[in-house]
Amino acid sequence: MFGKLLKYDFRSMLKQFAFIWPAALVLALVNRFTVNSFVTSASGLRQTVSGVAMLVYVGIMIAMFVVTIIFVIQRFFRGLLGDEGYLMHTLPVSPWQLIGSKLLCAVVTTLLSIVVAILSILLIMPISWSNILDMFKGFHYLFSHWNMEFTHGVLFLLEFLLFICLGMANGYLHLYLSMAIGHLFNRNRVAMSVVAYIAINALVGILIGILGNMGLRHLNIPYDLINFENSPTAAIHLSFWISILIALAGDAVYFFCTEYILRKRLNLE
Amino acid sequence: MNELLVTCTGLTKYYGQKPALTGVNLELGRGRIVGLLGPNGSGKTTLIKILCGLLQPTDGAILIDGQPAGPYTKSVISYLPDRMYFADWMKATDLFDLFADFYADFDRARAMSMCASLGVTPSDRLKSMSKGTKEKVQLVLVMARKAQLYLLDEPIAGVDPAARDFILNTILTNYNEDGTVLISTHLISDIEKVLDEAIFLKDGQIVLHDTADNIRERENKSVDALFREVFRAQNMEGGAF
Repeated sequence: MFGKLLKYDFRSMLKQFAFIWPAALVLALVNRFTVNSFVTSASGLRQTVSGVAMLVYVGIMIAMFVVTIIFVIQRFFRGLLGDEGYLMHTLPVSPWQLIGSKLLCAVVTTLLSIVVAILSILLIMPISWSNILDMFKGFHYLFSHWNMEFTHGVLFLLEFLLFICLGMANGYLHLYLSMAIGHLFNRNRVAMSVVAYIAINALVGILIGILGNMGLRHLNIPYDLINFENSPTAAIHLSFWISILIALAGDAVYFFCTEYILRKRLNLE
Repeated sequence: MNELLVTCTGLTKYYGQKPALTGVNLELGRGRIVGLLGPNGSGKTTLIKILCGLLQPTDGAILIDGQPAGPYTKSVISYLPDRMYFADWMKATDLFDLFADFYADFDRARAMSMCASLGVTPSDRLKSMSKGTKEKVQLVLVMARKAQLYLLDEPIAGVDPAARDFILNTILTNYNEDGTVLISTHLISDIEKVLDEAIFLKDGQIVLHDTADNIRERENKSVDALFREVFRAQNMEGGAF
């Protein structure tokens, strides 16, 4: 059932971004040919065209991330807490599957937007075939000289990506919980969601302050365990994993609170 | 399979301080068409929402086919809400896909033939459909399932009298005969002839639950006439009329 929910969430995501992702890439391609003339060309017309092309590109980049955030909020607020909730909450699935599917789709959508942004920058930059060839040669060199440092490098990268995904999920689950709390009110649901968002933010800030103090003053964990001088690699791994665990713990708290509200306190209009 | 399809014990629901249901005890068997009758604000929609798992009761318990509300009970309940619940950009056929994916008892071929007899073009976007047509699509989705319990919240309230017969006919010719249909309405005369049982809901409490035949025999009047009598009395007590 979870897979089926994902199918419908991803389908609506593709529908939403079917225009803006290709448009961003096409505009990047246009800029690849116009961007130089802004500096080099003496023609005023060419400079104007190039300037406008760049402006439109920057505009669509901003729009893409704004649309991503709005999409994530709408899918949850309308899809689960609005009229569409009457359909979603009577499907034979559990609330955690509904939230999980929305969350996974939100994180993947954001990652795809980031990938599109990176690709578009690569498209604008005047990279020649020989650059790409050099890059592959570099990769080949790295893989053929695989050693411990390289292994650690790859692991660092994976740990970093995992942390980024969990952190992103944290931001979205914070939004979900705020909306779930906001929907408990019979009036001014949007305003109450905003209030809930700010309140949670303050609460988390205080909690981090207290825990941070405890960790630093009483437990001394960071100083004892993370010893950069003796074993820098292990210390970096450890700090990554501590960050990952903290993000995961935050995700879990947000997730279970949201799940509880949807399971026990659902209050559709 | 449980003998009783629906069991409610001491069902109570408060919205804040305001009671919507107080101590509802209800048992429903299988293969019945039941009218859930009461004036506006008597708790009909609240009871239906609790049965289909959209609301949690403040107190008391419900069992559907012996199970508390959850994915299983949702898989055997077909619910027609009192509002539109789909995204506008979809086509009716997209919704058929969705229902076929999630409900094992959804019969796509029947949905298509119901569309044909109701005059709905399922390949049209919902956005381009009139309100009445959208309501028909929703009715098709709900009735094309072979569910154990159909919960129909005011299915005929918003349509003209000619369409009412059409909709009632669609319900009667398509429901799973081993299943039970619970129809909430305040338009009793329109559905009286099809009812096996009637439940009178008044201020969040069941004041009467009997078969339609028993009511007619005992009271020597139609369910509609009895309804008018019961609920007119309430208004007079309140001093409003």
